[in-house]
Amino acid sequence: MMKQGEEMIRAEHLTFTYDDGSDKIDLPPAVTDISFTVHAGEYVAILGHNGSGKSTLAKLCNMILTPTGGKLFIEGRDVTDENFTEDDMYDLRRDVGMVFQNPDNQLVATVVEEDVAFGPENLGVPSEEIRRRVDEALDIVGMREYARHAPHKLSGGQKQRVAIAGVLAMKPKMILFDESTSMLDPLGRHDVVELMEKLNREENITVLHITHYMEEAARADRVIVMNDGRIAADGTPREVFCDADRLHALGLEAPQGAELLHELRTAGWQIPEGALTEEECAAALLEFLSKDNSHE
Amino acid sequence: MISDITLGQFFPGNSFLHRLDPRTKILLSTVFIVTVFVASTPMAFLLVTLFTAFLMAISGIRASVIFKGIKPILFILIFTTIINILMTRGTGDPLVSFWIIHIYKEGLIRAFFMTLRVILLIIGTSLLLTYTTSPISLTDGLESLLAPLEKLHIPVHIFSMMMTIALRFIPTLVEETEKIMNAQKSRGADFSSGNLIKRAKSLIPLLIPLFASAFKRAEELAVAMECRCYRVDKKRTKMTHRKMVLSDWLSLLFMAVFLAVIIVSTTLAPGEDLFSKLAFYKI
Repeated sequence: MMKQGEEMIRAEHLTFTYDDGSDKIDLPPAVTDISFTVHAGEYVAILGHNGSGKSTLAKLCNMILTPTGGKLFIEGRDVTDENFTEDDMYDLRRDVGMVFQNPDNQLVATVVEEDVAFGPENLGVPSEEIRRRVDEALDIVGMREYARHAPHKLSGGQKQRVAIAGVLAMKPKMILFDESTSMLDPLGRHDVVELMEKLNREENITVLHITHYMEEAARADRVIVMNDGRIAADGTPREVFCDADRLHALGLEAPQGAELLHELRTAGWQIPEGALTEEECAAALLEFLSKDNSHE
Repeated sequence: MISDITLGQFFPGNSFLHRLDPRTKILLSTVFIVTVFVASTPMAFLLVTLFTAFLMAISGIRASVIFKGIKPILFILIFTTIINILMTRGTGDPLVSFWIIHIYKEGLIRAFFMTLRVILLIIGTSLLLTYTTSPISLTDGLESLLAPLEKLHIPVHIFSMMMTIALRFIPTLVEETEKIMNAQKSRGADFSSGNLIKRAKSLIPLLIPLFASAFKRAEELAVAMECRCYRVDKKRTKMTHRKMVLSDWLSLLFMAVFLAVIIVSTTLAPGEDLFSKLAFYKI
């Protein structure tokens, strides 16, 4: 198990430009000059609208894409180093799992437990150990009773939980969720987000959640806002979301409650800043209204 | 609903045949095919027919369902029968002689046994393989049996992985086809009327989006597999190892003995081919 606070990912002036094969047009870089560090045990949300470069960033962190500029360290290893071999890459990949957007397109096998076993089978783990890991992973995501089911008969949220179990069976130190909730219904989304938090708290897995849902990002310990391939904001959800004007400038909105308070503030109501969750916003509003009444 | 279609006509169940190891069943059906072709005496045919009936009885699958499986090859059966009746020259006088058609007694006998042979072949192999073995365990069994070919650098595991993925995505793609069909029907597309050519043409706007999405899925799946450390050139382990149990070995032994009996009973009968052997029994 990785020690708390150890460095998981460090990007230094990271840049990536897609190459479409033609020389004619110079595509603008998808990710430009990004620097940040993610430590072990952190729960980080990466927020941004479409085309902000957040998915490219995820693919860079998982070594699907190779940086075209700058440096990227994963667990302290420089992946841009010329001595970094394919074997090294697969070594690191077992530590950095990834859950994708479309739950259908990442399940390989026709039986749930066989799919969960796919990762450890690739790693050459002995059979008895795979069996143990599969059962454990299915227990964690709460899908043990579906072990012998066919994946196509499950709901979207259940499929995504199976995909997470498949990553867990590889014993990762960190999991990247690349918009893993965007194709799910509200119930499935709720389940998956709860599971992310559980993995972060109980299994001590570093979570990097790429999303465009403000409510989900607000639950993380830290939010990185991407815009136009650059980091536009990096801080706790409270710091990031309370600056509503800046969010609007980036084409984003704060969670609904915070957004409402911001609107009221611009309309002249003296509501203190800092409320973020629905409960906090309701409390702040209630306090303001009761104070307001006592004046009259 | 098209999503109800089954692939390769597998009938789930828990009979003795269902529980046999897929490798056993593949071997059994191979030996069965040999047996059916070796059998050339009425006695041998009787034994093989009884054996097939025995398989039907223990498969737990209704006889009507099994006979329905012969329907697709009905044309071949009729063709075989007619060719055998018309083309066989007998020693005695023809039973029917009309224009260029001469039908001999031997021709009728031969046609009967040839047709019986094809029917037994179809029923026996489908009972042993497709009806009682799910496609995925069939793939597993084949991979395991063909594993020695890896030494000749034939990538058996890659073919098996391709089969598995194909089986995994068939229901997904069927679902998708339905969605696209409904979307196009809602805009006035007509898939069910007109002649064959018109209907085939109406499928083109269905196939193009289906192919486009299949390629997109394939790409995403490839990335997801890479992320889960799938490497073509690396040795993989398996979570479950199928084990051949006593009933598997006993079934194989029984089949081997059965083949031996058929060989002996056939070779004991004098004569060169099926016809002369049958002639020996004066039928």
